Amino acid sequence: MNWIKIAVCLWIAAASVARGENTDLRADGLYVLPGVIELQGRQAAQRLIVQRYENGLGVEDVTERAVWESNDPDVVVVEQGRAKPTGNGKAKLYATVGDVTAEVVVRVDDFDQSVQWEFRRHVLPVLSRAGCNMGACHGALAGKGGFRLSLRGYFPEGDYHTITREARGRRIELSDPGRSLLLAKPSTALPHKGGLKLPVDSLGYQIVSGWLTQGALAPKMDDPRLVKLMVEPADVTLKPADTQQLLVTAHYSDGKTEDVTAWAKYSSSDQTVADVDEHGRITVQGHGEGAVVVWFSSQLVLARVGVPFDNPISEDVFTNLPESSFIDTLVNDKLQQLRLEPSPRCTDAEFLRRAFLDAIGRPPTETEAVAFLKQRDPQKRIQLVDQLLTHEDYVDYWTFKWSDLLLVNGRRLRPKSVKAYYTWIREHVEESSPWDDLVREVITATGSSYENGATNFYALHQDPENMTENVCQAFLGLSIGCAKCHNHPLEKWTNDEYYAMANFFSRVRAKGWGGDGRGGDGLRTLFVGEQGDLIQPLTGKPQWPTPLDGKPLPSDYDADRRTYLAEWLVSPDNTYFSRAIANRLWANFFGKGIVNPVDDLRVSNPARNEPLLEALSDYLVHIDFDLKRFMREIMVSETYQRSSVATEHNQADEHYFSRYFPRRLDAEVLLDAISQATGVPSQFNQIGYDGNDFENTSEYPLGTRAIELHDSAIVSDFLDTFGRNERDITCECERSNTPSIVQVLHISNGTTINDRLKDQASCVGHALETERPWDEIVEQAYLRTLSRYPEEQDLRAIVDELNAAPQTSRRDLLEDLYWSLMSSREFLFNH
Amino acid sequence: MLDICGRGKAFTCDGVTRRDFLRVGTLGATGLGLPQYLAAKEQGAIDPHKDEQSCIMIFNLGAPSQLDTFDLKPDAPAEVRGPFHPINTASPDIQISEIFPRHAAVADKFSLIRSCYHSSAAVHDAGWQMMQTGRQFAGGVETPHAGAVVSYFRGRRSDLPAFVVLPETMGRGGGNLPNGQAGGFLGKPHDPFALMADPSKPNFEVPDLLPPADLGAVRVERRRRLREIVDQSVRNFEASDDARLLESNFHAAYRLMTSTEAREAFDLSKEPAKVRERYGMNRFGQCCLLSRRLIEAGVRFVTINTFLTVFDEITWDIHGSKPFTSIEGMRDIVAPMYDQAYSALIEDLSQRGMLDSTLVSCLAEFGRTPKVNPAGGRDHWPQCFTVSFAGGGVQGGRVVGASDPIGGVPAERPTSPPEVLATIFHSLGLDLDDHLPGPAGRPFPVVDIGHGPVTELF
Repeated sequence: MNWIKIAVCLWIAAASVARGENTDLRADGLYVLPGVIELQGRQAAQRLIVQRYENGLGVEDVTERAVWESNDPDVVVVEQGRAKPTGNGKAKLYATVGDVTAEVVVRVDDFDQSVQWEFRRHVLPVLSRAGCNMGACHGALAGKGGFRLSLRGYFPEGDYHTITREARGRRIELSDPGRSLLLAKPSTALPHKGGLKLPVDSLGYQIVSGWLTQGALAPKMDDPRLVKLMVEPADVTLKPADTQQLLVTAHYSDGKTEDVTAWAKYSSSDQTVADVDEHGRITVQGHGEGAVVVWFSSQLVLARVGVPFDNPISEDVFTNLPESSFIDTLVNDKLQQLRLEPSPRCTDAEFLRRAFLDAIGRPPTETEAVAFLKQRDPQKRIQLVDQLLTHEDYVDYWTFKWSDLLLVNGRRLRPKSVKAYYTWIREHVEESSPWDDLVREVITATGSSYENGATNFYALHQDPENMTENVCQAFLGLSIGCAKCHNHPLEKWTNDEYYAMANFFSRVRAKGWGGDGRGGDGLRTLFVGEQGDLIQPLTGKPQWPTPLDGKPLPSDYDADRRTYLAEWLVSPDNTYFSRAIANRLWANFFGKGIVNPVDDLRVSNPARNEPLLEALSDYLVHIDFDLKRFMREIMVSETYQRSSVATEHNQADEHYFSRYFPRRLDAEVLLDAISQATGVPSQFNQIGYDGNDFENTSEYPLGTRAIELHDSAIVSDFLDTFGRNERDITCECERSNTPSIVQVLHISNGTTINDRLKDQASCVGHALETERPWDEIVEQAYLRTLSRYPEEQDLRAIVDELNAAPQTSRRDLLEDLYWSLMSSREFLFNH
Repeated sequence: MLDICGRGKAFTCDGVTRRDFLRVGTLGATGLGLPQYLAAKEQGAIDPHKDEQSCIMIFNLGAPSQLDTFDLKPDAPAEVRGPFHPINTASPDIQISEIFPRHAAVADKFSLIRSCYHSSAAVHDAGWQMMQTGRQFAGGVETPHAGAVVSYFRGRRSDLPAFVVLPETMGRGGGNLPNGQAGGFLGKPHDPFALMADPSKPNFEVPDLLPPADLGAVRVERRRRLREIVDQSVRNFEASDDARLLESNFHAAYRLMTSTEAREAFDLSKEPAKVRERYGMNRFGQCCLLSRRLIEAGVRFVTINTFLTVFDEITWDIHGSKPFTSIEGMRDIVAPMYDQAYSALIEDLSQRGMLDSTLVSCLAEFGRTPKVNPAGGRDHWPQCFTVSFAGGGVQGGRVVGASDPIGGVPAERPTSPPEVLATIFHSLGLDLDDHLPGPAGRPFPVVDIGHGPVTELF
């Protein structure tokens, strides 16, 4: 056992070193941003910020109070907050705020040269920023007013052609740029339906005009490309109502950098924390942590904004916190940064119920509860975790979870295929297969849909585009569908990358129709063809298979292309894969992910605790995707064992795990909990197809639990009302655990609880036979439903209530007792 | 005294409900609780005219073609004008499609805006957000449905919820976005009560509205007391939104269960067969009838979804190919159903003297492409479409705005979603300068600043 601990320690040490290297290590004080200024050409300019730093983080933007001075005004001066060149050479700029001065070195080159305006580097960003190529304007698929640009400039060559060649060349007039439609319209010199977008005196107008004057040069294959986008300050800690300007710098492949703050687009990941305007100016709205997403030329970069809560918490709170996992260290770091107080440890009874529900999808039985609560061993929580992870019901629960993800759905697959698919998943859970093995098998599946259940993934998704999109969504938490038609407008994924990815699946073929939900035999034999490529519509040619952010398929690769893809997918270098599954597992145990929605890991939707997600993801790779070991690490952490009772200083926390967040049980788990508590099982005997079409099934003998159902087409009003996952599309959003009045009416008046209580074989019937005193009956009812003993005063109050009623109808009283327990939030929620 | 009998028997329980109201009123949920409302009304603090106003929003899910319904272009080329001919109506200013013969008779009671547009994506879900909340969701901020805004400002005025959706909330739209039929940042207490049943079914009843027949009033009350003992001794749920929501649902459900008024409002068997048939014995028709009963019983805002999803259902979504609808499907199935129910609702409200106090707004997520596509259908088109209003102070028989000769863009008085919402709020007597409590307590304008109601309608 010890060597594991050592390995984990070493691994954590390595992880923190890696993080340390990236940290911005500015000492406390005043700084001019950007820290390096290189101005090339007469028209160059650089916006400046004066930023105060504390503990390596930007804490205040004091630019407005700064007084600027240049030590050589013949090289550089400051005008309107921007450094502007006045001659070649090196100089220093000084910014003085109060009695503190910060300095920055400026180098000016090529002052005697005018900037050569480039289409790709300069003109397109102007058009993007002005909104010309937005979806609502000329970026629409059909264009606007006969003028069509690629959405947000994803196809520069095409846009160049449209601008310079189409409409008989009327869009440009090199000898008199102002008469070009390209300028006359957006400056409203000629009527423009889109209104004034480029005023004549704007910098954007001058850039486009300059480009035209210089001969409207075409984009070339060897144009310098944007290689990196940087934002400063990248990490700030602010207070409500603070404002903060951002600077955005583009780094090009020719080594040049440019201030593109004015051309970038900004959006906020959480407007309740920080808002941002079109100029990149942040205004803090509330407490917590948010990010500003900066978009420029199809690249994205984030600036984090931390706003600590107002809670007065002493440092001692954090110095004495028990920690039993790297998880605790990283969660507590975040809590300390944001000044959120951790809740104390939960009770044994709370831990017991929570651990059962999260690990095996049911509450403990009366016997299991009593055994655990009576046990005196201080290690009993850890022992329980180990028991649960090897419990036979673990298999049912996690098969159910992965069946949600993989869409085991009888409305779309024939019963025999459903069973094969379900059984294949179940075998993997039984064998505790590492996650990468399971996924690799899905990706590379071949053979009969009856014999290799995994091939049914390809029965659900039958064309290369669908296969790609669902693989990305399910295993990477990435939704790349938008990039099918154009560069993803909010993300980095381009149209080229989409087709390069989809082309991996272009040779997947199948024999046999297989059928749909209602017809056919469900038999489909999957194989891989020798040739065939997916054509990218934009170019009319196939895009060479290349994984997202990965290396292209080697040209001499002659095996199944999917094998290459699968190897990339599950490789440690592909952090999307490990992050996606780490976040999913975390959400199972904590009710919400570190990133939410759980399956939305796009760059512009940042994690609430990035170091934590990164460490969990690294850990999962380190332990070779051993899911049980990962779950164990979570369950033994102090973070997992926190009480769900809020303290005064953490009740505003909705994201950072200072306490356990209560959540309504999943529909299936709740139904099973009712069956278990009452001792009366559910009956499942119908498959429901689309359009009110039903078929009987004898697949599920009486006593089958809801989480043991193979698929989501099995008829159950309860499961529908409580929002089960319909398994129509790969999306966590398909399951809804939000309480509603309809659910409450069903619990109160519906058949699920009421009919069970009336059943002769129910807990009520049993309690009636024993004729025990009310005290004991109430205690047993608590254990059966809430897995704990009643508090003395509640016990007394309930017994008084029961004694006050006529004892002639003990059955009614028992039913009412059990109903009140099962309708309580403590029963309906995992807490 | 208590006299709660079960399903199918008469029961009154004034004492219980009133006490229960008081308890619920102290829950501290946002907005005006019923007791405060009743007290304010008693003191004359509520303007009775404003308080009487209600709204039925018919949401034409799938998006009808403006060119085949309310904005025909008989002089346009064949590929634009489509197969249908215009007909005259009771209003000299309005011509509509021949597929709506019964609309013609009530055209003096409704008015059209033929120049509605929005600039969101031509995706159903995006349009649902735009047209029901006046905004596109962004940055994790979900803006509230118009009905939720009314629920927030006005609260309930009877045992029934303030905001109801019939027959169910919207299903899939293909964009996997929230559908805009919720309370959004106003919180779950302002989510609509969704019926989740088909009122045209023979033994229609609201699922689980009443306690089982053998559970008498004494037991219902005992269950409530026992549950309180069990539930209120734990503090684990105080900071959990979902848990607080469940508790307020329990109170609201209890109120519904114990109210005669509520039970009768949902009981369509109280309507003469002739009335039911006039509306049409189908889901949409009976929802329209039910909406009238609910408004009568005190609901402030009813949204009727003409359909539940655009997939595999015959709807307004006439792309011409499967799994969507053909233009003939609209002509033969959708239009007759809609024509019958809408005209019945307007006639009925008018005859009962309810039309002045009830705004009936018919909206959709967008319009459809001016040119008929190769499959003989029309595709999504947010650039221009027609919406209609009747009652609630709106003068009938008018046309506001106009589209260009092919129905492709507004030619006169472009009307945006915030203006549509402002029109609804104006009819309901809300103050458009008021603010909602936005995320993190930020004041959020009721409609985006700079947008007012379409005053030409009033």
